[in-house]
Amino acid sequence: MKIVVTVKLVPDTNADKRIDPGTKRLVRAGVDTVLNPFDEFAIEAGLQLKEKLGGDTTVTVVAMVPETGKEIVRKALAMGADDAIIVSDAALVGSDLWTTASVLAKAIGTKGFDLVLCGTQSTDANSGNLPGELAELLGVPGLTNVRKLELAGTTVNAERETDNGYQKISAELPLLVSVTKSINTPRYPALKGIMGAKKKPIAVWPVADLALAHPVGSSGAKTEVTDVALAAGRSKGRSVTVADGAEGARVIVEFLKEKKLL
Amino acid sequence: MRDVIVFIEHKAGAARRVSLELATKAADVAKALGGKAHAVVLGAGAHAVATALAAYPLDAIHVSEDADVDAFLIDPAVDYLQAVALAVGPALILVPNTMLGRDVGSRLAARLGAGMTSDVTELGVDGANVNCVSPKLGGLTLTTCTFKSDYGVAAVRPNTFKATPAAGAGEIVALAKPAGKTYRMKVEAEVEEAAAELGVEEASTVIAGGRGVGGPEPFHTFLKDLADALGGAVGASRAAVDAGWISHAHQVGQTGKTISPQLYIACGISGAIQHKVGMRTSGTIVAINKDGSVPIADFADLLVVGDLFAIVPELTKAVRGN
Repeated sequence: MKIVVTVKLVPDTNADKRIDPGTKRLVRAGVDTVLNPFDEFAIEAGLQLKEKLGGDTTVTVVAMVPETGKEIVRKALAMGADDAIIVSDAALVGSDLWTTASVLAKAIGTKGFDLVLCGTQSTDANSGNLPGELAELLGVPGLTNVRKLELAGTTVNAERETDNGYQKISAELPLLVSVTKSINTPRYPALKGIMGAKKKPIAVWPVADLALAHPVGSSGAKTEVTDVALAAGRSKGRSVTVADGAEGARVIVEFLKEKKLL
Repeated sequence: MRDVIVFIEHKAGAARRVSLELATKAADVAKALGGKAHAVVLGAGAHAVATALAAYPLDAIHVSEDADVDAFLIDPAVDYLQAVALAVGPALILVPNTMLGRDVGSRLAARLGAGMTSDVTELGVDGANVNCVSPKLGGLTLTTCTFKSDYGVAAVRPNTFKATPAAGAGEIVALAKPAGKTYRMKVEAEVEEAAAELGVEEASTVIAGGRGVGGPEPFHTFLKDLADALGGAVGASRAAVDAGWISHAHQVGQTGKTISPQLYIACGISGAIQHKVGMRTSGTIVAINKDGSVPIADFADLLVVGDLFAIVPELTKAVRGN
């Protein structure tokens, strides 16, 4: 069985981030790049399936990243994935959701898959829309927000998070599944894994090799960023130390009335 | 693009408030584009929702009560929306930025070869172009985006636009079942773990608990009571979710949801950057913390330094007595 896990590289949430007013893109210089934290749950889910299924089950990591991101992708291999494919190309700069999904779909389709696993969202774009687009472009159902995943033959039984509970879903492979952080606790790469990962293959595919039928990067994008403005920041409000619950309640009620929220 | 299509999310015949917000905004945008505003309502209870939608300024309400929409995940709804989109022609498609809205919207966008932009908080029209504004980078910037495709999908953040009833043509159109489709993601059971009516993304008031809450009970007792008194939802910080005190669906922040309720009350939450990025665009932020030097002190509109276990129940009493 072929399992593919998509990963993205994102700027560290703790880093001080800014936008270049000329290019309207995030200035990545000086900002640490990390594996999207949501993707670690997808990698772990893939590894657990591989351990359970054994045999010739493989876990391949696929990412659209600059070649400089290769060593970060290697973390997934250190966790236990078998190999990685990175699509790296200057032509990909300025990709939007649609071009990104198209490139990933073509790469994953070329590699071949039974199950594609994704994190629910990335910590930078935070849209949560890639799994749905990717599933559509791969021509398979997209089972999103899964917190429990079981496989019996080609049947997938899953629990899918909803706003106030969950749904039990059954589906068939081939399938794309996005997993939430409730599904597992991602392992830390062990020393043995880190050493072993150095020998695992990371294929670098130029975008031309994918023979896409449409342009990529900003020229293929379906959306265009026309303006980026700095949002008004929040300023420090008032602080009141209260002696007891009644006083605390009174302070808040007065404040809410002043704000016309009560 | 000329027309505007809204995907109406509802629960067994009751429209979610965000759907009414979107219906109202769709009419504004359609008017500015010189086109029509359409709503699409699907699944059990769709006719009841359509009746309620008649109070909003829509030109057409497309309805189907096809049982497949509830029996199978996502895909039947996408097929219906696709059919409406193709019949209407180049259009802006509005979905709520909720779990279902994102799932349906992203799939539809890929199918139509449409651009998609998410977490939209402002919509403007410039000739035939629609400009969508979204907070990015955890609310640091406001990015304006426009479409280069015939269709465009915008996932709109709940609590952004006002729902304002006004008369419209409101023609009810029965949708034909898409032919030749088989669906493979079957909903075997629907389990409700919390009686919460609203998700944190949709609630206009969110009462959130963090590490300082100390355990799971308050999420079901006094935090829930305050949320009920204010008509809001219960949220949580990552610390509370990771401790297993409340489910991930309630989590606000970097690895949870990004929300902007009118009022956010943070109880025992320090307000580290990972939490801040999920709630900094809230209208008003009130924090209750025993420590006055926590990071949230720097961006809360009101910080009450005191014992949340004493304050929150008293606050609920005061709100109820109001």
